Amino acid sequence: MIARSLSGLLKKGDRVAVSNITGREASKVSTVSQQYCSNIVAGWALGKAGKWVEVPGGKSIPVFGQFDEMMTQLPEKRRPTKVIVYSPPDAVYGDVKEALENNRGSVKTVFVITENVSIEVTAKLRRLADTGNVDILGCNTLGIINVHDKVRIGAVGGDSPEETFRKGSACVISNSGNMVNTIASYLQSAGLGISYGISTGKDVNILTPLKELLPLAMRDKRTSMIVLYVEPGGVYEAEAIEAIRKMRTPKPILVYVAGEFAESMDVSLGHAGAVVDGPGTSASGKKALFDDYFGIPAFDADERKKYPKLMGAHPRGIRVNTLHDLVPAATALMAARKIKSDFAPVRPLALRPWFVELGALAKALPRDLVPYVAPIPEPYAKLVKHYVTSSIGRMPNRQSMRNASHASSNDGATPRVYGRSLTSLMKTGSFSETVLLYWLGHPVTHAFETRLFDMSLMAALTNGPGTISAQGAKLSAAAGNNPNTAMMATLGSIGSLHGGNGSKAASLLIRVFRNTELVDPYDRKAAPNLDALVSEFVKLFMQRKRVAKEAGVPYEKVPCLGHPVFNTEAVNYDPRERVIDEVMREEKIYNVFLDFYHRLARGMMEQHATSKVHAVNVDAALTCVLMGIAWPLLVDKKITVERAVDLPFLAFALGRVAGGAGEYLDHRDSGTALDMRVPVSECRFLGREQD
Amino acid sequence: MSAQIGELTFLEVLAPRFKIPAPEFVVEPVRQSEVKQRLEDWGSGIIKPDVLAGKRGKAGTVRKVDDYHEAVKLLKKVAAKVVSGQQPRTAYMVQTVPADMEVFSAITYNSRYLAPSLTVSTKGGVDIESVDEAGKVTVPLNVFRGLNAYQASEALAQAGLAEGKLNSKLALCLVKQWDMFSATGMQSCEVNPWRVTEAGEVFACDFKATFDKNNIKFKDLGFELPEYPTRVGAFEEEMNAWSVSSHQGQAHVADLGGKLILPMLFGGGASTIITETLAQAGGDPMFLSDFGGNPPYERMKKTAEICLRHKLADASLLLILGGKANNTQIDVTFAAIADALHEWVDDNGPHPIPVVIGRGGPGLVQGFAVMKKTLENLGMPYVFFGPDTPITLVAAYAARLARQCAKGNGGVK
Repeated sequence: MIARSLSGLLKKGDRVAVSNITGREASKVSTVSQQYCSNIVAGWALGKAGKWVEVPGGKSIPVFGQFDEMMTQLPEKRRPTKVIVYSPPDAVYGDVKEALENNRGSVKTVFVITENVSIEVTAKLRRLADTGNVDILGCNTLGIINVHDKVRIGAVGGDSPEETFRKGSACVISNSGNMVNTIASYLQSAGLGISYGISTGKDVNILTPLKELLPLAMRDKRTSMIVLYVEPGGVYEAEAIEAIRKMRTPKPILVYVAGEFAESMDVSLGHAGAVVDGPGTSASGKKALFDDYFGIPAFDADERKKYPKLMGAHPRGIRVNTLHDLVPAATALMAARKIKSDFAPVRPLALRPWFVELGALAKALPRDLVPYVAPIPEPYAKLVKHYVTSSIGRMPNRQSMRNASHASSNDGATPRVYGRSLTSLMKTGSFSETVLLYWLGHPVTHAFETRLFDMSLMAALTNGPGTISAQGAKLSAAAGNNPNTAMMATLGSIGSLHGGNGSKAASLLIRVFRNTELVDPYDRKAAPNLDALVSEFVKLFMQRKRVAKEAGVPYEKVPCLGHPVFNTEAVNYDPRERVIDEVMREEKIYNVFLDFYHRLARGMMEQHATSKVHAVNVDAALTCVLMGIAWPLLVDKKITVERAVDLPFLAFALGRVAGGAGEYLDHRDSGTALDMRVPVSECRFLGREQD
Repeated sequence: MSAQIGELTFLEVLAPRFKIPAPEFVVEPVRQSEVKQRLEDWGSGIIKPDVLAGKRGKAGTVRKVDDYHEAVKLLKKVAAKVVSGQQPRTAYMVQTVPADMEVFSAITYNSRYLAPSLTVSTKGGVDIESVDEAGKVTVPLNVFRGLNAYQASEALAQAGLAEGKLNSKLALCLVKQWDMFSATGMQSCEVNPWRVTEAGEVFACDFKATFDKNNIKFKDLGFELPEYPTRVGAFEEEMNAWSVSSHQGQAHVADLGGKLILPMLFGGGASTIITETLAQAGGDPMFLSDFGGNPPYERMKKTAEICLRHKLADASLLLILGGKANNTQIDVTFAAIADALHEWVDDNGPHPIPVVIGRGGPGLVQGFAVMKKTLENLGMPYVFFGPDTPITLVAAYAARLARQCAKGNGGVK
């Protein structure tokens, strides 16, 4: 081994280069590493020269096409001292060879993260590294972390290394990458932090084996205890014990050997190298080896009080049979060897359930099997409040949607919308009914919902040629554009202030009603106490308004209440909303949301928030119609809240783009070229001429 | 990731390809007249099962014959006899090679040298682990240069075979063995024994090897590996086929024959220690599993569907457990498991066994939300743990809960 100390493997000031850096895993891990310690100077990936890996809040990483190109272009002081390899298995040999051949004496250690590299290649890698005077870790290592220097290579610590790794005196060396993290978090309960966390990998050939790492850990000044996670396969531990057996005062070792359960079953474990390949390489063989070295049998948690004394006589360490016994065993070892804790122990390891619902089963179980719900730590508690305790809406599930859709399909014969044949829908349904299916993923429950949606689309068609969206279509027609461009101009002329108010209203309604027991929005008898909801809402609105006014900032108005045209009476109405409301009355359709909006308009005036009863405008009506359709799906968690909020805006856009098409056709037929242009004489300059 | 072969594949394909001297042989089914002819030529033969299991001799399936009636009978009998729980693919008869000397040789990747190594012993023909260390010689090999005749000869000399004609002949055989090892991407291969006749002829008289499936040479061997009757059950067989169908996310299982807990586990190291804890605590896990590696929704759903279809009806507890994931999207995996569970209950009816979940990682709370709602809809009791509870404690709790439920005190099973 070339490194003379653990810091020789990684320390502050080391510069890292990453192979195949634009790959999915490499770019993600490199981004987190760069945010954590900013030690990556460059990466290389064939065909990706000139690109950058962007690091939000950190230093972006330049990408070169080849290793040699990277070494040529980087100034000597910026050249990497460490290389981390994320190449595909068949490319690992070539990439490491290239790095070693063009090393220029700079690179001291190579870490191979790649899994499924052939044994022949790993043997060749070790040979190349020996010849090139370079250390090589892996393959299939997760990497290394030097906690005191706050630097890491690879994904040790996952997305939040600072959460798991606190500075301290335990060095963790593990065959499993994930166990480095797990053991580090366990040891916090013993008041032990970490000096180094090292994942050796567990391929058949472990290229930097324990016999090379253990002596370094024994000599490391920051390390006072060594914790090992060991799997079956290989003579690595036997050689390591051989290497340290003659030391006069070796540092204590805690060890967990996994995999004995599989011995009699001909079962292959998860890691490639966890295969018994000779005497002493089985889990039971390794357990016996460590027990012999320690001179005492494995730790027994029920007898924990005897250990400080026992370990005083046998100070080399102890093996544990269960991973969570590392904590009491470490505590006993610290007492026996007078090792100071690195910090006050964090809360002890215990069962801390977040959700418990055992129902009738709970009554039949002993008390200790029915655990109490524990407080959920942050940041999870906030998320739980948002996602779990919230009573409505489906949780979105994320996946790559590049070539996938829930909404539509085509098997080569039949196009479908959410699994329903489009051709059948054409025969029996309507456009509005099918659009609702497409938008909600479920057919409407009541026939009147399609009719009301139809009316809403019609109401959204136009509000005269002066509206911004109609103007957009007319401007486009006047410029000589094609129909699609004119429709895009219509859509481009609507926004959060024109058309988007419905979505704000939808958010408001969800906010107000989500904590009620509302299930059926069309059932008047089951409606919550709307006057109380209005009163509470207006009270909060006035508080916010007062605070905003005192601060001299604009206050947020109630969406969809009031209209610039229908605004002259003591009690105002939007005639389009009236039509929808009247049809609903005639057909005895109750909509709790529209009822709420009417009461809100009155309540605002009665509680002196406004001086008159503002009109419940057509956007409110449209929103209430759509919220009526969507609410049962929200309650059943069949659609997301985000989808329900988008619906009014989409409906407005759909209606208005058809209206824009009408304006375009009229303007194209009858308008003169460029007639929308404002004459220079009518344009006003508001600045001061400079020359 | 390895694939085994036995002596018969060696005799049929590899020995002629690499010009390694080996005895003549015939494979069942074979005509009676041919057996008769061969035995007349050879004097006697040895009948063996073609099975990937050791201890064939101890199982009484390796038999010397000189009478062709008996040989024909034995070929059929041996082909049908299970050895160490495994059904042979067929049986075959090899020429008997009378010998004064038996030599052992193995080439394998060696964890002591982190390189290939050659082991030879002149005490061949017995289980090599029973031979003391002084009776064996192991030498490391340069993976780039391989084994040359000089090195082989020296190793044989160290093992007690003095330099001379026989040493040279055997050394050349060992070089051919290396050529085969290296050219086919083997992980290990063993000839035990090389039998040396009175006339000084050398024959490779038994053979076994494993290939490294990750080695690119193995992917282009030039012949199909024989398919042996599998002893894995329908569950493991279906999951193995599903596992190799895609590299997106892992779908590794190994049936443990347990009766209590259906464990869906995530992460290589985590799945090992969880299963070990379950076994220690009497949780009697049905299988070992590793479903990590960020499987997409469809992949995870089918994986869960296979597990549930084969095992859920017999389980006393469903355990979904893994450490704090680095990459795996928990909301996606949990939504997939929840949907598979829903479909299973739709098809099979309610099954109110407890579900214990422990996990950490991206999208955890969203995943919990989906799972909680599903279990409530299905009327399944549950306990969820976040990453602040150690996975081994969750496993120990699940084992105790499962035992209690299986006793009947819990009201189920």
